[in-house]
Amino acid sequence: MSSPTGPTPETSAQLQDVPPPVRTAVGTDTADRGFWHGRSGLVLAALMVAFSLYLVYGIVTMEVPEGTDFPGPAFFPTILVVVALVLAVLLVLHYLRSPEVPEAPASPDGRTWRTHSDWTSVAWCVAGFFLFALTLEWLGWILAAALLFWFVARGMGSRRPVFDVTLALLMSSAVYLAFAEGLQLNLPAGFLGGI
Amino acid sequence: MESIELLLQGFGGALTPANLMWVLLGCLLGTAVGVLPGLGSSMAVALLLPMTFALDPTAAFIMFAGVYFGGLFGDSTMAILMNTPGQASAIASTFEGHRMAKDGRAAQALATAAIGAFIGGMTAAVVVVFLAPQLAAWSANFGSAEFFALALFAFVATSSVVSDSAVKGLASLVLGLGIATVGIDATSGTERGTLGVPEMFDGISLVTVTVAVLALGEVFHMAARIRRDPHAVAMRPSGRPWLSGAEFREAAPAWARGTAIGLPFGVIPVGGAEVPTFMAYDLERRLDRRRARPTFGRGSIRGLAAPEAAGNATTGTAMGALLALGLPVSATAAIMLAAFRQYGLQPGPLLFDRAPDLVWSLLASFFVAMVVLLIINLPFARIWAKLLLIPPPYLYAGITMFCGLGVYATSGSRFDLFMLLGIGIVGFVLRRHGVPLAPLMIGMVLGPLAETSLRDALLSSNGDYSVLVGSWITLLLYGVLLLVVLLTVRSKIVSRTRKDV
Repeated sequence: MSSPTGPTPETSAQLQDVPPPVRTAVGTDTADRGFWHGRSGLVLAALMVAFSLYLVYGIVTMEVPEGTDFPGPAFFPTILVVVALVLAVLLVLHYLRSPEVPEAPASPDGRTWRTHSDWTSVAWCVAGFFLFALTLEWLGWILAAALLFWFVARGMGSRRPVFDVTLALLMSSAVYLAFAEGLQLNLPAGFLGGI
Repeated sequence: MESIELLLQGFGGALTPANLMWVLLGCLLGTAVGVLPGLGSSMAVALLLPMTFALDPTAAFIMFAGVYFGGLFGDSTMAILMNTPGQASAIASTFEGHRMAKDGRAAQALATAAIGAFIGGMTAAVVVVFLAPQLAAWSANFGSAEFFALALFAFVATSSVVSDSAVKGLASLVLGLGIATVGIDATSGTERGTLGVPEMFDGISLVTVTVAVLALGEVFHMAARIRRDPHAVAMRPSGRPWLSGAEFREAAPAWARGTAIGLPFGVIPVGGAEVPTFMAYDLERRLDRRRARPTFGRGSIRGLAAPEAAGNATTGTAMGALLALGLPVSATAAIMLAAFRQYGLQPGPLLFDRAPDLVWSLLASFFVAMVVLLIINLPFARIWAKLLLIPPPYLYAGITMFCGLGVYATSGSRFDLFMLLGIGIVGFVLRRHGVPLAPLMIGMVLGPLAETSLRDALLSSNGDYSVLVGSWITLLLYGVLLLVVLLTVRSKIVSRTRKDV
């Protein structure tokens, strides 16, 4: 009987006989990665500050009717702003004291990346959705949704662009038939609708 | 017994051919989404929420019940076969369940999970039928101060007790509460945080936020990881999909214990089903150590049976708490509450009086959904596993398309699509940095209740804060909350010192 624990990433990497130089390079590299390594979570603190600024702007520009009794409409947002700013400070302290380095799983080909997230993939998906939202009413559901499908599939690593176009159009048309024709949901036909 | 009579009428409502079809469809869709790797029941409900608006309320909620429980079933199926739990409540099932699958006992593991979920869910449904009306009657005496205490309880419990980092949990909660304040203030009619944009006068739609955070953000998260993580290896379900008498006898006490642990957790808002599933798992492990031949670590049937039963028992009673108190204790329950609001219904003490047909049909449909799920899960688990053959790029491309479909179909405006994208990116950032998303959902849903009850209480007392602790119910709630927080702090310190040793 083998041991109850399954093969760890390390042992499976050894089994595949991956040349170790890349891995050791990472080991020495981590020290030189600079301040931001493991501290990208500071963006959370920035998010909290940005959000509380938005709320503050809302409170300042709020037109409270005359004679509103305490607690008025600004009461609750004010509490939230205070709490959000305190949390932002706590988040900054947390990331300064203990950086969170995500565990990078051993990749099968031993490659490493500078960032934890695959921003190229995310950019394809975000761009696809942005274009979808932008063009939906003009292109109509079938074309815009097919565009979205194609972009996301591409971003997720599909390498068959032509086949994807067919599949995307098939999917968006099927959805249109089922939901716009079948369930009477309101989906735009776009300029195709005029033909 | 009045409850039984009403329940029978509910069955009458739920068992019409049309409603049966919706239950079946809901169960199938829920299981299908739950089965897909990384997707859990809350995503299933979030994606399907906009679709149900084409139906009448009773049919929609009956379908929801199917989706909700179906998602849980599908989720544990994948936790067992692929070691990919879609959400936290299925994690405890992966430990022993996945080992059983690796050991070539995948089919038995699936059967154990399905029967466990069935027992837990059924027991919970019975408890809800008898206790929910009492709970609703009792909570009808609640005033503003009591509701504020209840909401605060849910906030603190979900954001700090359940999540690993209290700061991150609270940050998520504050975002949710803040988003909920956007729009026209119900008490004074003032515009708040709208930047003068007419589309925001009605506030940011809960559907948009739900789909953005739970579905689109998740797609972006998968995009960020999909080409970098080595893929999990699928297990082929094989062997007999039923349990031998010995296995059944072995699992039975664990199912019972799991159910007993899970039941109370649906009513105490400490957030979701993950706490009871881990407690049930831990209890079985401790009991197992005392046996002559410990089975944990080698695919223990009890280590799977208990958390499955506990998870579904909690889910069931959580629905009871949602109906009777209007208090969602998990992200999924928060979405259900949103769905009730879309139909102009307010869950809570008055729902049992105002819409008894709906409530009792919904409760009856829990039973129906459980039976349907047992039927479609026990023999067909190997067919569900075929869904894994969809290549991930197309899977996620399809999900993204449905996100767009759902939000555009409910709002009919491109503004909401851009809002969806923006909040989706925020959701991705939160997910990437380990911020729990359930507090955001709960903050968004309960925020207005918390705010109006706090302001009403203070208005009626002319700004005197002591009104908030003015009755024994509020004192009791704050007392229990304090106790829960202290226990959490203690267990966190204990686990930290243990780690150091």
